[in-house]
Amino acid sequence: MKRIVELTINGEPRDMTVDSCRSLLDALRDDVGLTGTKKGCDVGDCGACTVIVDGEPVNACLMLAVEAEGRTVETIEGLQPGVDTLHPLQDAFMRHGASQCGFCTPGILMMAKKLLDDNPRPSDEDIRFGLSGNICRCTGYTKIFDAIKAAAIEMEAARS
Amino acid sequence: MNVTTPIEQRDFKIVGKSVRRDDVLEKVTGEAEYTGDVKLPGMLHGKIKRAAIAHARIKSIDVSKALAYPGVKAVLTHENVPRVLHYGSPHPRSASCTKDQYILDDRVRFWGEGVAAVAAISEEIADEALDLIEVEYEPLPAVFEPEDAAQPGAPLIHEVGPGGNLVLDPVRVNRGDVDAAFAQADFVLEGTFSGGRPHPAYMEPNVCIADWDGSNKLTFWTSTQTSFMVRGILAEVLGLPLTKVRVLVDHMGGGFGAKQDLFQHEFLCALLAKETRRPVKMEFTRHETFVAGRSRHPCKIWLKQGFKNDGTLVARDMKLVYDSGAYGSHGPGVTIVGTTAATSLYRCENVRLEGRCVYTNTPINGAFRGYGVVQSYYALDIQMDEAAERIGMDPAELKLKNVVRAGDIAPSGHPILGHGLEICLQHGMDVLDWKSLRNRDRTPDPKRPHIRTGWGIGCEMHGSSAYPGIKEQGNATVKVNEDGTVTLLTGAAGLGTGAHTALAQIVAEELGVRFEDVGTIHGDTDVVPWDIGAFASHTTYLVGTAAKMAATKVRASVLERAAMKLQVKPGEIDLSEGNIFVKAEPGRFMTVAEAMGPSRGIPAANIVANGTYEPTKSYSFAAHFAEVHVDTETGIVEVKRVIPVHDVGRVIHPIAAQGQIEGGIQQGIGHTLTEDYIIDKKTGRSLNAGLVDYKMPLSMDMPDIETIILEAAPDPGGPWGAKGVGEDPIIAIGPAIANAIHDAIGVRFHHYPITPEDILKALREKGA
Ligand code: FES
Ligand code: FES
Repeated sequence: MKRIVELTINGEPRDMTVDSCRSLLDALRDDVGLTGTKKGCDVGDCGACTVIVDGEPVNACLMLAVEAEGRTVETIEGLQPGVDTLHPLQDAFMRHGASQCGFCTPGILMMAKKLLDDNPRPSDEDIRFGLSGNICRCTGYTKIFDAIKAAAIEMEAARS
Repeated sequence: MNVTTPIEQRDFKIVGKSVRRDDVLEKVTGEAEYTGDVKLPGMLHGKIKRAAIAHARIKSIDVSKALAYPGVKAVLTHENVPRVLHYGSPHPRSASCTKDQYILDDRVRFWGEGVAAVAAISEEIADEALDLIEVEYEPLPAVFEPEDAAQPGAPLIHEVGPGGNLVLDPVRVNRGDVDAAFAQADFVLEGTFSGGRPHPAYMEPNVCIADWDGSNKLTFWTSTQTSFMVRGILAEVLGLPLTKVRVLVDHMGGGFGAKQDLFQHEFLCALLAKETRRPVKMEFTRHETFVAGRSRHPCKIWLKQGFKNDGTLVARDMKLVYDSGAYGSHGPGVTIVGTTAATSLYRCENVRLEGRCVYTNTPINGAFRGYGVVQSYYALDIQMDEAAERIGMDPAELKLKNVVRAGDIAPSGHPILGHGLEICLQHGMDVLDWKSLRNRDRTPDPKRPHIRTGWGIGCEMHGSSAYPGIKEQGNATVKVNEDGTVTLLTGAAGLGTGAHTALAQIVAEELGVRFEDVGTIHGDTDVVPWDIGAFASHTTYLVGTAAKMAATKVRASVLERAAMKLQVKPGEIDLSEGNIFVKAEPGRFMTVAEAMGPSRGIPAANIVANGTYEPTKSYSFAAHFAEVHVDTETGIVEVKRVIPVHDVGRVIHPIAAQGQIEGGIQQGIGHTLTEDYIIDKKTGRSLNAGLVDYKMPLSMDMPDIETIILEAAPDPGGPWGAKGVGEDPIIAIGPAIANAIHDAIGVRFHHYPITPEDILKALREKGA
């Protein structure tokens, strides 16, 4: 059964026509054309599909598209504050080499954004714990931790 | 070691700097296009019906219900696909492959092998149609362990090959007089070792899209490390000229070696698209990446070594048996590389080695970072620690005494260049103050008396090419455009290592332009020069040299053109940072853009040159120092700190090189402690084909890694002495952890993964 779902994606009101059993991940990737969010497992195990729904991180593969009705969804495509500017996390990921193959990167960036929004001065342990649902198989996480710490400092400085 | 000319030294402007990676900009914004992101009009979705039996003959297969299912457009079985015997790992410039597979056969050789394929208007419909295909099997006796498969009278898995379920004839190496050396040894150590079945678990599941045009040309998007091999083997098996197959791959979500086979689903995707005359996409589920992907060869090793009482190694006798799974894939290459690697690492004049590779009715094992050497060096390095223990010597000292040095014969047959391993080992010992670490107070922390700490060392060396098994060829084309910008065309794949950035750095450095002015084109076999593929840690070494050669040529031509414009001789001018200046009068200069652009009477120009390079081999080295905490109550081992010391020759992009090392350590900790893709020994069924049951080290599990990269032994075969780095880290970390566990609790393990159950059992036995 097809349904029309109205929601806000990256600040824009959208509607999508989806099967009632379609995941938010497939809807975003195939119906809306936002392919930045990745599918690493489709069963909630890898975090590659992490998006933010009403301020909470969600595995988009585990959420039905119809559940997003009336909600606000943020994806990697909405992370850049402007066309020519990067979010401090994006910039830090580039400088610190925190992305190799990049397949985990959109999910990890969204998770890291949520982490820093909630906790602007995270400890090393907070960062490790915050990313415990996101698999990166390339980097050994070292440079991801470095990048998140650097972005936190930068964002803190920009606020004060 | 290819050329004897000394390595050129210069004041580097771009090489050695962690410049901004363009591919990463696309990755952090979500714009990077991976194969799975490509969507074509009218695209169908393909799915594969997989056998739920490990060894059988297909008696009958009925697809009528599936074909009649609404939305299904085509179904393929062994009865309607071309029957061409082909390679799984078609390295075109090697002789070490076994032709042992058909696209679809009337025989099943492992649980999960594809027996039919469906194309439908949606993935869901294709999936549902799979259940409507009825297959009747005649079960055949199956074997799941190499020991059983190698028994006389064991069921034969293939008709091809040397027989007895061998994938290739045993690989043998004999050097010196092993028996005489053992007779003169003061003591002899003998042991058996074994390794599990780690899986690469790249984050992007295998995916491909096939599309045929009216001229019968196939355009094929696929997540592969080896696009030209895909082109070659697809063309061969489908009976097409090479010009009728175009392979495209932009970004890849990792591969780690395992995306360099030609997979069954890739043929089927192409054939479904041909049959339906519509584009078809096939995307693995995570479960399929395990079952139908490639894992590391499980291995059993028997190792005997003789030593003098001063710790000098005098004789080595080693037998290795690799489990190939149901098809040959990289079995021959892995067996040859893993076996011959054991001629070296620790110098020994008397060596006798025998490597075998055996078919079993289990999922296919293939190339995975560390390619056969993870297994053999795990055994070698642990036994070196045991030798040290036997004579009461510091293992670091014993290793230092025996490590290969300049002039020793490498596995490839070449003399080793430089003292890379010795320098790495010594450097790590100095940085850590290893002596005092050894002599530290070992009383457990009274607050946590069940935690024991230990330190261990693992050493490794690895070639920056696949020579002599494969004669590689690196190619690059460099164009200087009429506005002075530069385009590099390369066939090297972008696995995520930063290879394209390193190649662009090399071109910019050699040519004398800014890094930002070099753009890279890759990933289209119709456009870029032929490439052997990204494997064997060779892209920077092999393609980097080819790119440097091409840049040297265009530089000369640019200077010639500028000289004409400046009305001087080419020798009188130089080029640096995009400016061409008269050496005697530095105030007189023009930019590369001005040199290339039009001026009165001289039209604008493009300058193009190619570089082709056929190297032999260089070796990179590493010594890893690892600290572990062993919980004697739970058996859990935590790796707390790793100090990897690597010699990679000239470093092109430091952050990318460090990233390779840190990621390799993550995967190596995994296979040493938790990762093992388990196949049921009764049925051949996969027991943990998913990311929760297959346990990898994640953010909470990673140690502090303090990477040290030394430019200890640059090799003139690579650009300014650069060597490879991709495979090295995963090899050294394993024995470092195993040796550290021994240091912590006094128990030796000869296998991986070393699980908490193993630790607890060993502690119980030790206590008893
Ligand atoms: S794709 Fe959603 S968690 Fe893996
Ligand atoms: S960068 Fe490849 S999985 Fe994280």
